[in-house]
Amino acid sequence: MKVVMVLQSLLNVMKKEMSQTLRDRRMLATLIVSPVLQLVVFGYAIDLDVDRIPTVVCDQDMTPRSRDLTQAFFADRTFLRQSDVPDPSQAQDALETGRAAAALIVPYGFALRVARADAPAVQVIVDGTDVTLAQVGSNAASQFLLLQGIGHDESVRTGAAAASLVPRVMYNQRLKSAVYMLPGVLATLLLNVTAIVTAMGLARERETGTLEQILVTPIRPAVLLAGKCVPYILFGLIDVLAILLLGNLVFDVPFRGSFGVVALGSFLYLFSTLGIGILIATLSSSQQQAMLGAFAFMLPAMLLSGFMSPISSMPAWLRPFTMLIPMRHYIEIMRGCLLKGAGIRDLAQQMIALTLLGIGILAISVARFRRRLT
Amino acid sequence: MAVAHKEVLHIIRDARAVYMALGLPVVMLMLFGYGISQDVDRIPMSVVDQDRTPASRRMSEALVAGGDFVREPDLASPDDAETALRSGRVKAVLLVPRGFERDLARGVPAAAQLLVDGSDGTTATVALGDAAGILQATSSERAVRASLSAGPRVRVRFNPTMRSTYNMVSGVIVLILAMVASLLSSLTIAREWEQGSMEQLFATPVSRSQIIVGKLIPYTGLGFVQTLLVITVGSYMFGVPIRGSLVTLFGCSMLFLLAMLGTGLIASVIAKSQLVAVQFALMTSYMPVAMISGFMFPIANMPKWLQAISMVVPGRYYLTTLRGVLLKGNGIDVLARDAITLAGFASALLVIAVWRFRRRLA
Repeated sequence: MKVVMVLQSLLNVMKKEMSQTLRDRRMLATLIVSPVLQLVVFGYAIDLDVDRIPTVVCDQDMTPRSRDLTQAFFADRTFLRQSDVPDPSQAQDALETGRAAAALIVPYGFALRVARADAPAVQVIVDGTDVTLAQVGSNAASQFLLLQGIGHDESVRTGAAAASLVPRVMYNQRLKSAVYMLPGVLATLLLNVTAIVTAMGLARERETGTLEQILVTPIRPAVLLAGKCVPYILFGLIDVLAILLLGNLVFDVPFRGSFGVVALGSFLYLFSTLGIGILIATLSSSQQQAMLGAFAFMLPAMLLSGFMSPISSMPAWLRPFTMLIPMRHYIEIMRGCLLKGAGIRDLAQQMIALTLLGIGILAISVARFRRRLT
Repeated sequence: MAVAHKEVLHIIRDARAVYMALGLPVVMLMLFGYGISQDVDRIPMSVVDQDRTPASRRMSEALVAGGDFVREPDLASPDDAETALRSGRVKAVLLVPRGFERDLARGVPAAAQLLVDGSDGTTATVALGDAAGILQATSSERAVRASLSAGPRVRVRFNPTMRSTYNMVSGVIVLILAMVASLLSSLTIAREWEQGSMEQLFATPVSRSQIIVGKLIPYTGLGFVQTLLVITVGSYMFGVPIRGSLVTLFGCSMLFLLAMLGTGLIASVIAKSQLVAVQFALMTSYMPVAMISGFMFPIANMPKWLQAISMVVPGRYYLTTLRGVLLKGNGIDVLARDAITLAGFASALLVIAVWRFRRRLA
């Protein structure tokens, strides 16, 4: 009898939350349309494969030899020839103003030195303010110059014949950024939708005093929270579906694993992000605080999740903390399942971690929620 | 002025919010400075050595020696490699086939294989580059000597060691300002609507634009303090250079702040509830600043239509001026175009905010 009553009130809270959300068109757009829209627009932005670096050329030599060199420099499209200037100082200007991000300078007497088999002094200058671009640009330029460096050519070739390492990229052969970034984007969007919305939603109920009204009814706090969470888990799962579908259609993100693993992983992840939302709500007394609190968690979490930079490159003292970030486990699950076709057994560790985190966060937040009431 | 005073009181009374607004940028900076870097190293790698000869050991040791790879427990067979990669325990596996040393001795090209996990593309790209470089270096001493004697011919300007902290400081300033200015301001007007105090404000002789200006002033101040904080922490703790003039820097920061406040206010005027206002501001100002301002992903790489969209993201111009002033020492003469664009955005957005605000009342 008691169980029936609990279920009944759970259902009622869910119904109320659902109809409240569905009635507000803007809210619905926030929950479903905006994450999907953001994925599509920003998915195109996510391209760490740097190419077409705008480059200014200063060819002072003006010989067939130097022209060959400059043409070869742009052959593989890592650099894009943007303009030619007669004077090196103008090349500097272009870098300073940001019109170009790299400069290729071929000094007077280049052809002459090549003919004499002197080391020719070609210079490539790369703008270091954008690190990604600078790394790719300077690597490509070094490699190019090493290969072009007349006279060194031979030693490189004899060396390479001795032992070779054949690289093989697994799972994402063409190393397309959108493919491996999608899980991270998905995790961020879900966190954004669920944690902020629950944190602010609960804070609003407190602000307007409706929370106190509900609490005088015989509904128990845990049931109330559960009833508030379940609809958002549903919305979150709809988001996951829509984003994966679009990711597949628009960005060719594969789906190699099983549907069940994705569903279970997403469910566990949403569980923990909602817990975070509730926890933040119990810590704040206004919507403004709740919003700031959600951000104070989200931004560092994003950095520590391995979304942008690999966890293995972080210092040893920082790595244990990343275990506490639900996003980290979710990204590993999604990368594993979508790209590598990993099954539940391969990902057991991450699933367990996510479950424990979810239970832990929710337990703390429910306890805090109760305490605030008394 | 009274409105500004009231808003300042609101902010100050809410001490926790102020701490968070000021603490968050410092935490972000610390994480970037001490923990997170875009420089990839210590890639976990397992070895499947089927050859078990001095030559094969040299190969695996060469990869680990530079610190780019870290050796995880060896695997028995190539089949295990697949499992290890799939579960994510390692990001790379070196496979040395049987007969590797024999082939080398005979002068036959001997090939080992490096499997790289492409699902983490950042790591994969670096791993491929590092492995190729290391191998070239060890297999041909002559080539290395030759390339060293020729001297450095590729020069990275403005940030010679390519330290990502430098880059990140400007990024953190942009992100934090965008967040505080647009998100916090989007809450203010929506809050007055929600609580019904807006109607009360209207009953007073305060004019509409006075309300808007009054709401702007405190948040501009808060943003200013944050900029100062991030730049101070960045230059004292992480040695980020300030090569240009601080006046230019703060002038541009001011313009950017106003533009972001404008978007926040527009969101706030359009949406009735704080929750929707925040999400709206997030979508129209914060996310574009994070994603398509050129902070994380190079703009030159984006498709043409997205580059066109990025033209209307104020963060793009602000980032250029920030990097210009901090790292390149550019003066206002070089940055004039970006500064004027920012000013244009700021005034246009604020005008729209006031105009929409008026229309709502009629």
